[in-house]
Amino acid sequence: MSNISHNPPWACLTDATVGYDGRPVLAGLTFELPRGRFTAVVGENGSGKTTLLKTLAGIVPPVGGRVELSGANGEPPVLGYVPQRDSLDPLWPVSAFEVALMGTYGRLVAGKGAGEAERQLARECLAQTGAADMAHKAFSVLSGGQKQRVLIARALATQPDILLLDEPTAGIDPETTIAVMEMLSRLHREKQLTILMVNHDLPLARKHATDVLRVGDGKVSFETLPNPGVT
Amino acid sequence: MNVLTEVLSPSFLLRDALYTSVVIGLACPVVGVFLVLRRMVFMGVALPQISSTGVALALSLHALGHIHLEHGSFDTHALAFVGSLIFSILAVTALAFLERRRVAWNEARIGALYVLSTAASLLLLAKCPTAERGWLNLFKGEIIAISNSDLKLTGGAFAGVLFLLWLFRKEIILVSYDRELAMTLRKAVFGWDLLLYLLIGLAISVAVIAVGPLVTFGFLLLPPLAVRPFAGTMRQFVIASSVLGGLASVVGFVLAYHWDLPVGPTDVALLGVVCGLGNGVQWLRNRALSFR
Repeated sequence: MSNISHNPPWACLTDATVGYDGRPVLAGLTFELPRGRFTAVVGENGSGKTTLLKTLAGIVPPVGGRVELSGANGEPPVLGYVPQRDSLDPLWPVSAFEVALMGTYGRLVAGKGAGEAERQLARECLAQTGAADMAHKAFSVLSGGQKQRVLIARALATQPDILLLDEPTAGIDPETTIAVMEMLSRLHREKQLTILMVNHDLPLARKHATDVLRVGDGKVSFETLPNPGVT
Repeated sequence: MNVLTEVLSPSFLLRDALYTSVVIGLACPVVGVFLVLRRMVFMGVALPQISSTGVALALSLHALGHIHLEHGSFDTHALAFVGSLIFSILAVTALAFLERRRVAWNEARIGALYVLSTAASLLLLAKCPTAERGWLNLFKGEIIAISNSDLKLTGGAFAGVLFLLWLFRKEIILVSYDRELAMTLRKAVFGWDLLLYLLIGLAISVAVIAVGPLVTFGFLLLPPLAVRPFAGTMRQFVIASSVLGGLASVVGFVLAYHWDLPVGPTDVALLGVVCGLGNGVQWLRNRALSFR
């Protein structure tokens, strides 16, 4: 399978198999993901879309084949990762600001604390996602939509080449879903940010993404959308 | 009041025991915060026990004549510390490797480890009355037997543990709170886990030698559990846990001295009361909020 755009790829999979603990979930994957696109990975529950995302994020090693990532300058790209919000333990007493600040830790050497520059960046990212007013609230008490805004702010604080999101609208109300998706579309449009988003809602993905990567029955297929954002 | 003045006097006969108790009271809860937040409370029970099995083995080998020492009690303590440290480090290293391989370190395994290490300690000491007496004193938390060398060892080790926890707090919190994010930021997750576990192992080894497994467990876990409902940030959580542990160590010592009770169990009972009060206040607060 070839790539879906003439932009240079940030990810290149060659006969890759993804899965957990040596057990394949998706096999024989050969495709490229181009920069500058907003790609939605869509499929049923258990189809392997999150496994694919985690493999691309470097969280889960590929079971077989090759998965190569390349940044604009030939170095590995900086990834801004937004996990499923329920994966974070509510026992931790961390504020929304502290969560956003964690995004800056990738640039800091071991033993060096976050300085004023990092704090300012975290504040700016919270403002960009409309979460500035909840900075000092405990992250665990925020609503689903508010948590999502903070986690996207944290991903932006990494100053990413690629933004990876795992089900950013799962379990949140329709109004907040629209707000989150419009925020992602705006980030893609205004910052030319490359986005790869896992989602189970195909109509929603078609409305906002530039490409759809459909995952099902152990296979993937691409769909390039002619005019995203038009309903 | 007279008792408090006497205990806090610089010429107090048991001042080394008091100072060691305060060091452990202040420092153990800081380490315990990570056990609580990483949901490894059972590990907090099992590790001091495993560590004391190392002490039992070292004392038994010495009593049976397999290890020869030349300089009296300090060397016996040093030997016990080495035994404690080796067992703790082995246990936490195994834990780190199992976690890396994503093998669940579940309650059943920890429970099995706890009873097996206790049984092993008792069997090891069954034929060595001298070693058994020393180990039982340790097990009961006989803090008043602490020497000046214990105080120096405890103070030095905890200073090192707290300094490294403070220096690498950013990395340790990141890999503990969101290890997936840490991986995407290309942090050495296994290395930071291992460092944290080694610091926990060292802290537990030193504390077990000084005050025994019961008091170590009490100070590791009860202050963070009492404080957690009221902490809004990590900084508040760590500082409040440490202050509570430090206060409990002083008040517990004074009460035990006044009523002629063993210090360790008094400290733990006092922390239990504070923990119960904290949870009671939290329950009342939740009830009040639900009625609004």
